[in-house]
Amino acid sequence: MNVISKFINDMKELYKSYPKNIRITLLVLIALVFGFGIFAIQILFWGLGYTDMNNVFTWGNWIIGDLGLVALGGGAFFTGFFLYIFRVEKLEPIINSTVLIGFMCYLFTFVFLLFDLGQPLRCWFGFAYPNWGEHLMPTSMLTEVFFCLSAYFCILCVELVPVALRHKFLDNVPVLHAIGHYMHKLMWIMAAAGTFLSFFHQGSLGGGMWDVLYGKPGWYRPHHQYFFLAIVAATAGGTSFMTLCPYIAGKIMKKEVMPKETYWTLTKISGAMFIFYTLFRTYDVYSMAAKYVPMADRNFADIYGGYYGLWLVVLEFLFLAAPVVLLNLKKFREQEKFMAIGISGGVLAIITSKLEVMLHGFSVPNFPWRPFAAYNPTFQEWIITLGCFATMILIYTVFAKWFRLFPHLDHEGHGEGEAH
Amino acid sequence: MKKIERKELLMMTGGAVVGGLTGYVLSGAPFLMFQDLAEWTQDQYVPLKGEIKLLQSICQSCTTKCEISVRMVADRAVKVETSNAACPLGQASLQLLYHPERIDKPLKRTGNKGKGRFVPVSWESAMADISGKMNALVKNNKKDAIAAINKDINLSSELLEKLITSTGSTNVYYESSLNALTMSALGGVVDYDFNKADYVLSFGAKLFEGWGVPGTMNKVLASWPGSGKKLVQVDTNCSRTTSLADEWVPVKAGTEPVLAMGIANYLIKEKKLISAGEGFAKWAQYVYQYDMATTAKLTGVSEDRIKALAEAFYGARNPMAVAGRGAHGVSSSASEIIAVYALNTLVRSTSVSLKQYTGMGTGKNPAGIDDFIKNGNFELLFINEADPVYKSVLGKDLAAKMEKAFVVAMMPLINDTALYADYVLPSLTFLETLQSDGQTVLKPYASAKHAGDIIIELAGKIDAAKGAFPWTSYLDAVKQAGNTRGVAGFSFKVDKLKEQLSAFKKQKADAEYPLSLIPVEMPLVGDGDGMAFPYVLKNIDSDSFMLGKMKVLMNKATAKKEGVSEGSSIKIISERGKIGSVKVHITDTIAPDVVAVPLGFGHMAYTKYAEKKGVNPKEIMAADIDPVTGAANWWGTRVKIS
Amino acid sequence: MKTSNSKMKRRWGMAIDLDKCNGCGQCSISCAQENNMPIFEDDSDVPKRVSFLDLMKVTNDRDASYPDVKVAFIPKMCQQCEGNDPLNPTPPCVSVCPAVATDVGDDGVVSQIWSRCIGCRYCQTACPYEARAFNWWKPKYESTFKKSLNSDVSIASRGTIVKCTFCSHIWKRERDKAAANGELDINAVTYSPACVTSCPTGAMVFGDLNDPASEISMLSRDKRAFRLVHTIDEKSPEEQKKLMKIKNYPNPKVYYLSSQKWIRDMMRFNSGK
Repeated sequence: MNVISKFINDMKELYKSYPKNIRITLLVLIALVFGFGIFAIQILFWGLGYTDMNNVFTWGNWIIGDLGLVALGGGAFFTGFFLYIFRVEKLEPIINSTVLIGFMCYLFTFVFLLFDLGQPLRCWFGFAYPNWGEHLMPTSMLTEVFFCLSAYFCILCVELVPVALRHKFLDNVPVLHAIGHYMHKLMWIMAAAGTFLSFFHQGSLGGGMWDVLYGKPGWYRPHHQYFFLAIVAATAGGTSFMTLCPYIAGKIMKKEVMPKETYWTLTKISGAMFIFYTLFRTYDVYSMAAKYVPMADRNFADIYGGYYGLWLVVLEFLFLAAPVVLLNLKKFREQEKFMAIGISGGVLAIITSKLEVMLHGFSVPNFPWRPFAAYNPTFQEWIITLGCFATMILIYTVFAKWFRLFPHLDHEGHGEGEAH
Repeated sequence: MKKIERKELLMMTGGAVVGGLTGYVLSGAPFLMFQDLAEWTQDQYVPLKGEIKLLQSICQSCTTKCEISVRMVADRAVKVETSNAACPLGQASLQLLYHPERIDKPLKRTGNKGKGRFVPVSWESAMADISGKMNALVKNNKKDAIAAINKDINLSSELLEKLITSTGSTNVYYESSLNALTMSALGGVVDYDFNKADYVLSFGAKLFEGWGVPGTMNKVLASWPGSGKKLVQVDTNCSRTTSLADEWVPVKAGTEPVLAMGIANYLIKEKKLISAGEGFAKWAQYVYQYDMATTAKLTGVSEDRIKALAEAFYGARNPMAVAGRGAHGVSSSASEIIAVYALNTLVRSTSVSLKQYTGMGTGKNPAGIDDFIKNGNFELLFINEADPVYKSVLGKDLAAKMEKAFVVAMMPLINDTALYADYVLPSLTFLETLQSDGQTVLKPYASAKHAGDIIIELAGKIDAAKGAFPWTSYLDAVKQAGNTRGVAGFSFKVDKLKEQLSAFKKQKADAEYPLSLIPVEMPLVGDGDGMAFPYVLKNIDSDSFMLGKMKVLMNKATAKKEGVSEGSSIKIISERGKIGSVKVHITDTIAPDVVAVPLGFGHMAYTKYAEKKGVNPKEIMAADIDPVTGAANWWGTRVKIS
Repeated sequence: MKTSNSKMKRRWGMAIDLDKCNGCGQCSISCAQENNMPIFEDDSDVPKRVSFLDLMKVTNDRDASYPDVKVAFIPKMCQQCEGNDPLNPTPPCVSVCPAVATDVGDDGVVSQIWSRCIGCRYCQTACPYEARAFNWWKPKYESTFKKSLNSDVSIASRGTIVKCTFCSHIWKRERDKAAANGELDINAVTYSPACVTSCPTGAMVFGDLNDPASEISMLSRDKRAFRLVHTIDEKSPEEQKKLMKIKNYPNPKVYYLSSQKWIRDMMRFNSGK
C-alpha cells in the first residue's frame, strides 16, 4: 500500500513540477488514452458499424495509421542495419531510441490491425490457414504481412530487452546485466534478420498490397515497382522520423540528447534515400499516367479527380523538396533549423504519400455512374487513432525519463551498442 | 535427502513453468481456446432444420394467378418459387406472412384516435359490437352514414360492396387506382389486349413498372423484343418504360390529355373519323380547339411529330391507346381517361374492350373517394386493406372525420388509417388462404381470417343483409365473383367535364408556382405498400432516400435556375402547404421545371420499417376534385421551392 | 439441359438481357429470401448495406441531356471473375485473402466461407465490382422473421464478408437429389440460382459456359453481349493478347445483353468519345 501511495505522490510531485504547457499536453494525452479505452470496447463488442468505413471505402484511419507507422518505424531496421552491419559507430547514441520507436510503431500497427479486423478473435487464422502459394511465395500480400510483421516484431522485442534492462534498478541485478551484455554482442544477428524481413513487409504493407489489385486502376502497377518504392520510402522517411523524435524530445527536455554528429550521419543517409525515392516516385507517377491507368481504359485525369486526387501527389512532391535539398547539402544539414525543416518535410512527404495511396485509391469510382467516394472518420475512429499515438508518445516519454534512452545524456561515452 | 538450495528451486520452478507453457502452446490448446472464443462470441441464430416439402399454391395477389411452389422446412415457409412467372408481390409475401408486427387478433382501440393504442379482443365481441352499430344505423334510417373504402377490385371488395349496398347505402369507394377511376369515367374497366395490339400508344402508363396486372405485363415484356410490335411512350420524365419503348414522346408536365386531344383532332379533321359514345359531337367541339399549333405549344411536341404519331396510330393494323399516368398508385383525370379511350374508339381498335364487373360498381361513384372525404359524412366506415389516410391528398381531412365516426379496418398490418380505427380485424395473406380445391399452404396466422370470411360472418349478423348473403364462406362466393360483362357504350360526359376540357388550353404561366410536382413510384415500393418489408428497403437507392433524408429529383437546368445544387436541402411549397427536410438529387432524367418526388415515404404508422422515414408529399398535392371520378386529380401539382 | 460430355467440368455463367429487364426487383427479393439477408429497421445507409444483389440504377446523364436520356436497372451480383486464364482462374479477390476464406471451385464459382473469414476486407478492397458486402453490424432477424430463414444457408457473424455464390447451396441440394436418384456424376448436375429462377420476364439465363450448345454460351457470344466496365472486350484480339500478357483482367462470367448503344457507352469511363 505504501509503495502505491508513495508512487502516486511521486507522480503528483512530478506533474506539478512541469511547466503549464507540458501539464496541459500530458492531460490531453492521458484523456486520449482513456477515450481510446472506452471506444475500443465499443468497437470490439458492438462492431465496426460505428466507423465511417463502408463497402466502398473499406479501410480508413487505421490502415493509414498502419502504413504510416510501418513506413516510419522502418527507420529502426535501417538504422540498425547501418550500425550493426556497416559499423557506423556515430549512430550508436540513437540506437536505443530507434529500437523503442520501432517497437512501438510495430506494436501499434498490430493494435490498429486488430481493430480493423471484423473478427479479431479469428486473427490466428492468418497463421493457421495462410494463403501461401508455390515455393513459399505468399499468394496473398496480407499473409506476407502477417508473418513478416510478426517475425520482425519478435526481433524488435528482443532488441528492446537490452534497452529496458539498462534501467538503474534492473542493471544492478548481475544476471540481468550479463544477459544485457551478451545480447549486445549478438545484436548484429537481429539486425541482419530484421533488415531481411523488413524488406519484405515494408514492400508488402506499403506497396505490394495495393499494386497487386489488378481490378483497381487507382492502385495497380507492376509488383516490383511499387513494392520497392515502398521499401525506399521506408528507408528515407523512417530515418528522418528516427531523427525527428529525439530532436523534439531534446527540445522539450531542453537538453542535448544526441551528439550532433549522430544527427548529421543519420540525416545524410536519409537525404540520400530521399533522392532515390523522389526519382523513383516520379517514375512511378509517370508510369501510372502513361501506361498502367490507360491499360484499364481510364485516363489519368479521370482517376486523379475527386477529393483526394492530384493535389495530394503535388503536396507530396512539395514536401519532398525539403529533404532532397536540405538534407543533402552539408551546409544546410548541419544547421539545426534547416535540418529540422528537412526531416519534417521528409516525414510529411511519406505520410502524404500514404494518405494519397489510401484515401485516393478507395475514392476512385468503380463504375462510371458512381461518383468519387468521400471518407469522414467518426469520432470513435479519431479517438482510437489519436489515442494510440498518445500512448506512443507517453511510452516514449516514460522511457526517456526513467530508462537510458539517450546514453549521450550520461556523457559517459562508453559504447552501449558496441558489437564487441 | 540433500538440501535443495534456493537457486536450484528457482531453476526447477522456472524450468517447470517454461516446460509447461511450451507444452501447452505446442499442443494447440490455445488455438482451440481461441476457436471456442470466436464461436462463443458470435451467438448467431441457427435456422431450425426440418423436413423439406414443396407445397403448390396459386398466388392471389392479382388476377394473373401465377402458379407457385412454397418451400417448407418443417412448418416454416422459407421460399416462394415462382419459376419465371409472377412478380415481386409473390416473392415478398413471406415477409408479410411472418412480419413481427402482423396483427394476430382483433384489436379494439383504447385511448385517443391517432395514438395507435389497441387491446386484443375476441372475434365474437368485435362482431357483436360492429353489427350492433350497423343495425342501429339502418334502423334509425341513417343508412347513408354507412360507408366503405376498398383498396382493390377483388373478391372481398365485391362482398363488402354487397354488404354495404344491401343496407341501402351507396357509399362504397375505391382507392384511386386506374381501374376504379376508369369505372367512374367510362362505366367499366378497359381490357387491353397487349398480345393482339401491334402499335401501343401509352399516355404515361408505366407499363413495365407495375401498371395494370404485373404478371401479365411481365409476360408481355418477355415477348416484346423482336416481335415487330411498336411501343410509343408519351411521358414527361424518363422511366424504365420510356427507355424500353421504341419511341419516347416527351411532353410537358400534365399535358398528356392535351396530346391525346391533339391526336384526336387530327384523326377527326384529317381522317374524318367518328367515335361511338354518347356526346361525341359535343366532345369533338372541344377537340377542335386543340389544333396542331395549340397542341404543339401546350405539350412541347412539334406539330410534325403530332401528325406523325396520329398517322402511325391510324395506319397501324392493331393500334391501341393506353391510359394511366403511372404504375399502380398514380393515374389520371376523367377527361384524360376518356380522351385516350376515344382514340381507340376513333380508330375502332379491336385490342380494347370495356367490361364491367357484375358484382361491382354498385355504389354511386366507385372512385369518388376524395369527394366523399370532402363533402360526405359517415358514422360507420369500413376500411378494406386500404390506406386512404396515407394515400389520399385529403388524408388529414379523412382522419378528422374518422375521429368522430366508428371505424372498422380489415388488414394484416396496422397502417396510417388504422390509427383512427375503433376495431382492427386481422386479415390473411394469400399463402394462408384456402384455394378453391381445398388446399392451403399454411394454417392461418393466429386468429386472422380471410377478409371475405370476415365480411360474410358480419353479414350474417346484419338484418338488412339477410338473404343477400347465401354463402357460408368466401370459398363459396369465389365461384360467383369476378364475373364481367361487356359494357354497351360509354358517355363523353362533356357537361361535367367542359371546364376541365377548356382549362387545358388556358395555360396560366404560374409565376408564383413555376414548377410541377410529379410523383414517382419506385420499384417494389410502389405507392407505399412495399415499405413495411425489409427486403424492399434494400432496393431503395441512395438517390431516393439515404440516412433519413428523402430526395427529390430535379433537372440540371432547372436546378441551376432555382439556385440549388446536388444535395441541397429544400422546402417544397404549394397552395395547400409545404413540406421540408428533403434534399435534391440532380438528374436529367427529369424534365425541366419539374420536381419529381418519390412516393411511399412519410408513413406515420406501417410497421417500424416504414414509419417516419421521409415525408408524405400528398399533404401538399393538388386536391381539385374531378367532376366525374370524384377523386382528387393530384398527379400534377404546381409548386415552388425554397 | 444435358452436358454434351459429362467428363468436362462445369463453368457456371449468367446472362442478363437488359432489353427484357424492367427493374421489377424480384431477383433481389428472391436472393434476399433465399440467402437470409440480415434485416435492418433502417436500411438506408447504402454504403454499409448487406445485399448480394444490387439493382443498380444506371442512366446516361453523363452523356446526354433531357430528353435524350435513358434509364436501366442492372442487377449486379458477384461477377465470378476468372482472370486471364479460365483453366487456372485467378479472380482479383481470391489471391488476396489471408485465411483462404474465399476460393474458386472447379466449376468456376468463387466461394465464400463466412465462418473462416476474419473480416480484414482485403477481398472487398480488391473487388472491382463492389460485389462483396461486409457485416458492419451484427446480422439480426426480428422475432418472427426468423421463421422464414433458409436452413441451407448459414447466418454469418458480425465482422465477416458475405457475397453471392451463385446459390451454390442450391447446386448442393440438386447434387444430393441426383445422388439419391443414382446419378453420381457431379458434372451432370444442373441447377439455377434463386434470382434466375424468379425472373418473371426471362431476362436472366444461367448455365454452363463450357457447353457450347447451352443458351448461356450462345448468349455470351451474342453481338449484344458485354460485360460490366470490361472495356478490354472492345479491343482487337491482338491488342487483348498484348494487354493480358502484362496484366490480369477480371474476365467475369456474368454477361449483359443490350441492343441499346447508350448502355455500352456507359460501360466506358470516358464518355465513349
